[in-house]
Amino acid sequence: MTAETAGAAGTAGTTAATGTHGPADTAARPALLETVGLTRHFRVGGGLSRRTLHAVDDVSLVIHDREIVALVGESGSGKSTLARLLAQVYRPTGGEIRYQGRSLATLRGRRAQLAYRSDVPMVFQDPFSSLNPAYRVSHGILRGLALHRPGLGRAERRAEAERVVEAVGLAPAAEILDRYPHELSGGQRQRIGFAQALAYRPRLILADEPVSMLDVSIRIGLLNVMTQLREREGVSILYITHDIASARYVADRLLVMYGGHVVESGPTEAVLTAPRHPYTQLLLSAVPDPRAPLEVDAAAARSDPPAVIDPAPGCRFRARCPLAVDACHALTPRLRELGPAHAAACHVAEADAPSPRASAAPA
Amino acid sequence: MRHLLRRLGFFLLTLWAALTLNFLIPRFMPGSPVTALHDRTRGKVSAAALEQMLTSFGFRPHQNIGSQYLQYLGNMVTGHWGLSIGQTLGEPVTTLIGQALPWTLGLVGTATVLAFLLGTLIGVLAGWRRGGRLDTVLPPVFVVTSALPYFWVALLLILVFSVWTGGLLPSDFNYDNTIVPGFSPGFVGSVLQHAVLPGATLLITSIGGWILTMRNNMITVLAEDYVRMGRAKGLSNRRIMYDYAARNAILPNLSGFAMSLGFVISGAILVEYVFNYPGLGYLLYNAVQNVDYPLMQALFMLFTVAVLAAVLVCDLATLWLDPRARAKG
Amino acid sequence: MAMNTPVRRPGGGLWRALRGSRKATAGAVILLLFAVMAAFPGLFTSVRDANALDFAPRLGPSTRHLLGTTALGQDIWSQLVYGTRQSLVIALVAGFLATVLSVLVGVSAAYLGGLLDDLLSMLINVVLVIPAFPLIIILAKYAGRGSLTVMLTVLVVTGWSYGANQMRAQALSLRNRDFLEAARVRGERRSYVIVAEVLPTMTSLIVANFMGAALYSVLSAAGLQFLGLGDPNSASWGTMLYWAQNQQALQTGSPLWSLAPGLCVALLGASFALINHAFDEIGNPALRPVRRRGAAPAAAAPPVDSAASDAQSEDSPLLRVSGLRVAYQGARGPVEAVAGVDLTVRRGQFTAVVGESGCGKSTLLFAIAGLLSAPAAVTAGSVLFRGDNLVTMTEKQLNALRWRDYSVVMQSAMNALNPVRTIGAQYRDAMRAHGTFTAEQVRARSVEVLELVGIDPVHLRSYPHQLSGGMRQRAMIAMALLFTPDLVIMDEPTSALDVVAQRSLMVQIKELQQLLGFAVLFVTHDMSLVRHFSDQLLVMYAGQVVEAGPTRTVFDTPAHPYSRGLLEAFPSVRGPRVELRGITGSPPDLARPPHGCRFAPRCPVVEERCREWEPELYPVGEVRARCLLQAPDRRTRPLPPVEATS
Repeated sequence: MTAETAGAAGTAGTTAATGTHGPADTAARPALLETVGLTRHFRVGGGLSRRTLHAVDDVSLVIHDREIVALVGESGSGKSTLARLLAQVYRPTGGEIRYQGRSLATLRGRRAQLAYRSDVPMVFQDPFSSLNPAYRVSHGILRGLALHRPGLGRAERRAEAERVVEAVGLAPAAEILDRYPHELSGGQRQRIGFAQALAYRPRLILADEPVSMLDVSIRIGLLNVMTQLREREGVSILYITHDIASARYVADRLLVMYGGHVVESGPTEAVLTAPRHPYTQLLLSAVPDPRAPLEVDAAAARSDPPAVIDPAPGCRFRARCPLAVDACHALTPRLRELGPAHAAACHVAEADAPSPRASAAPA
Repeated sequence: MRHLLRRLGFFLLTLWAALTLNFLIPRFMPGSPVTALHDRTRGKVSAAALEQMLTSFGFRPHQNIGSQYLQYLGNMVTGHWGLSIGQTLGEPVTTLIGQALPWTLGLVGTATVLAFLLGTLIGVLAGWRRGGRLDTVLPPVFVVTSALPYFWVALLLILVFSVWTGGLLPSDFNYDNTIVPGFSPGFVGSVLQHAVLPGATLLITSIGGWILTMRNNMITVLAEDYVRMGRAKGLSNRRIMYDYAARNAILPNLSGFAMSLGFVISGAILVEYVFNYPGLGYLLYNAVQNVDYPLMQALFMLFTVAVLAAVLVCDLATLWLDPRARAKG
Repeated sequence: MAMNTPVRRPGGGLWRALRGSRKATAGAVILLLFAVMAAFPGLFTSVRDANALDFAPRLGPSTRHLLGTTALGQDIWSQLVYGTRQSLVIALVAGFLATVLSVLVGVSAAYLGGLLDDLLSMLINVVLVIPAFPLIIILAKYAGRGSLTVMLTVLVVTGWSYGANQMRAQALSLRNRDFLEAARVRGERRSYVIVAEVLPTMTSLIVANFMGAALYSVLSAAGLQFLGLGDPNSASWGTMLYWAQNQQALQTGSPLWSLAPGLCVALLGASFALINHAFDEIGNPALRPVRRRGAAPAAAAPPVDSAASDAQSEDSPLLRVSGLRVAYQGARGPVEAVAGVDLTVRRGQFTAVVGESGCGKSTLLFAIAGLLSAPAAVTAGSVLFRGDNLVTMTEKQLNALRWRDYSVVMQSAMNALNPVRTIGAQYRDAMRAHGTFTAEQVRARSVEVLELVGIDPVHLRSYPHQLSGGMRQRAMIAMALLFTPDLVIMDEPTSALDVVAQRSLMVQIKELQQLLGFAVLFVTHDMSLVRHFSDQLLVMYAGQVVEAGPTRTVFDTPAHPYSRGLLEAFPSVRGPRVELRGITGSPPDLARPPHGCRFAPRCPVVEERCREWEPELYPVGEVRARCLLQAPDRRTRPLPPVEATS
């Protein structure tokens, strides 16, 4: 099982690129994909007790060309729902998604749908269930090529399949393609997931926790695959993860989600070094870090999941927040610009200060 | 609450579907019941009297089908099941059923419950001693026995225990009809003797299924962490086997029990037929042979109600045994 | 080790599994025999018209009439031969049509969901509950005797619902599989997803269902004909049975007339049942027959550690594991998941065992706790707990120690707590297993430990599913503290939780440990998690300890290339962005471990001799490392520089 090591990309053992992407020079570029007030609610219970789960609430975000954006949050924060909204698995309850300036709601017909799907494919979390066990691993790639690049002949499809498999660092490609999923390791399967997405010649890959079920030693290889895809194939990536530390190594920008809201967004280093939202601070203090001394935050002791079933107005983090003020119970905070391209949805957070203080309560 | 309403709706729907089938079948089949009946009674009963009998189960050829249907539904639900028009011409259907019901309940009911309890227990033991003698021998044996035709097992038992042994065990009727029925030791003994072979037939053919499913459930549950946790806590084997493993493994079998009642009924019909045992199955066979519509209809409804009652009992048992089901209800 | 078991791939694997099953082989042989008989009856009998009354009645078996003749003067054997065709046709055709209907209804209900699913599953359940056999009898009577088409129709109409129910359940469980969502996101049409992605993964269930439906059809058809509701002139086993019963065959001395066709029905039914069962076992490998190992694991006398004799002395360790080996008996021979592990835990010490999936860390843990179950067993070594060897103890002796002296906390409380008993009842079970306590004592202690972990005691009356993930985990830890044992063994107790909850639980475990003084043996795949909590660290790779020593030292100066690789794989959120390296390749197959050092194929500093010599644990300052570079004769040569980790 040494297939991951060789190949043109030779990625697995190499070093993660550091500092190749600059901070927030992104604002000037046109948006590749944009959401405006994107909302998705689910009905839970039923019959008489009709309640609504606010999985994604009023999310506006932008992803530019050739950009890696990390979407970070705990389970239940709505990050996977957001990915499925962008992948058009779910229809939005409200708001809209614009791709290259055009609202997805205006896409008519199967051809337009397919064109979007080929531009914005998705990579799934679980390498043990994302490939159909009944088929060889080439199945998904070849089907995708047949659907999205109908001009290719049979032999060309095969050649293209080998190319994308090599592009994600698997070799020998021809042999790998003829294996069954259970004959590959978790890391190899997850690379196949990226190869499938790559076969469509995508503009943006939605990667839903692509490394969280892999062993630590294998994760780095996959993270490197992502940065290389951006450099060599020119794609953008939305990297969805609960692991804020890994986001640091691939992403240009970070979005932090909590209870269906984006609570903080900004250039990765800016958010990590000067988190503005109390939740981001809590999250950062809880990340196990072998190289850093232990910080035990008193607030970390409380870990109730956010209440997003029929939530009352106000900040969804207020119950756990050490800094909550009256305004937090009445008004839902909106993202406010607090630094260069750095915003947080918090009434208490202050601009250009390293940490929020309880004194100020604007809004 | 919603769950309970759904279940209630399901019961009503099933009953309605069964009653409607019952109503439609005779009306869509060729031939008129009046002429059939007239032929069979060889003109001894007047046509008007025959029609009067037939109307009791809602057969009114001159009325429109909608009002016939409504009348029929009303009659079935309120217990106005009419008169038999077969061999037992003129007998109220309720009387016939009343006579047969206790025998079927006693024989088939006991055999089924016994098979369930015994099969579940053996299955628990087989699954618990995974790889033991019980677990190695039982599955292939009971895969085969559960595929045996009821009537063939019955015939085999009759041959071995009755014919070859010169009538060691009786194979006909439900008691020795030279004895006057009553609570005498002779009568009770005779009833029990007559129940041995048909009961054994039902037991042999239905126990295999319970053993196999319970064994499989046990094996699945024994791999669960909470069973290993029970061991880690130092609990006695008995406690782990019953309170941790079997208690969880039996839950899927409860819904299986209700569903399998359909098979039990088919077994009851065939077994009662072979042994001339005067229960509901035998009654149905005779009703069918003699085109006794009112009796057939009532029996079919009764069978459906019996299955539904079993489903209800199993639902309640599941609610009692599984707190997660309670939360849903 | 929360890896999902992969869905079994049909095709080659299925075929191989089938051939290996004795049940499937037996069933297939019977079926084949009947098929030949049905296709070429002339091969088996010279009689041309089996229903003609050509012979003397009630002849016994003879060479001319293998099974004798009927009361009407027909040859029983040739009637059997000719009857095969109809029974087989009914079974196959009705079985096939019913299966098609089951798949159609079951899969569309599950896949299309919503209102349609509600309606279809209601329909399935109604048909399932309406008693089929009385309905068949009534329908057969009304439809007139004899028509094969009517019988087939009736069998299909009543026989599909059971399978549809199962298909729906299976398709529902597949619905959440990512590969179906992947197909949808790829832009496939619904019809394609159902036909080309869902159905191929359900092959074994579909075949099993076909066998079940065929069995049902054979038995029902025979029953109907036996009751006289079939065509009395047709050539079939059921019709033979009807005439035999009609003529009192049993009582009049020709039992074969009745028994032989019945046996044929039974055999055909059994063949379907056997194949069906074999497919069940393929779908769920746990159900397959297992053979007991010759020697019970505990009976094998492992080499007694020399330390055992002076074990009771004052400064002896709480737990001393020596040379422990655990093997799984697999189909391809034993797989050694734990290959000679030594470890020592002192009183009050926090010892962490880290390693990636499949390295044997959980197996090691369960071996120490005496909780292995077949096919895993300890093959060598000893586990001395306060001087007594747990490996050689009987279950009864172990039960005296369990929970009172050492307890276990598992990865997921959702699975480790009995779902049908309240938290309080499970605490009570544990206490009552180790002594006589009054209800009041049990309650008082239960309240005490729950308060210790910060849970409201009202939850003693809650069931596990009523608690949140973090609370369940804490309730399980509280249960482990009921007797304040000397040692608490923890298997990834925090890995199912979110980062914040995970951190708060770790802090709580550490506080409890300091408060109550128990020792902890903590297994995790996340090395960074234990950095600030453990005193001693063991790094496992491919069944072996590759590095052991004080946690700080291992983190600061890892001596084994694997521990270094693991450490360098952890991204850090604070401080400068250090370079990250992964480890190439994947862990070895433990059925065939590599020759020499097990890490050699993935090692960045591998040398030629690493592939030949098996390294031992060599002392390197405070730690010990299983690396030839650390072997005493190599000390003079410096290690390649380690990346700065600050």
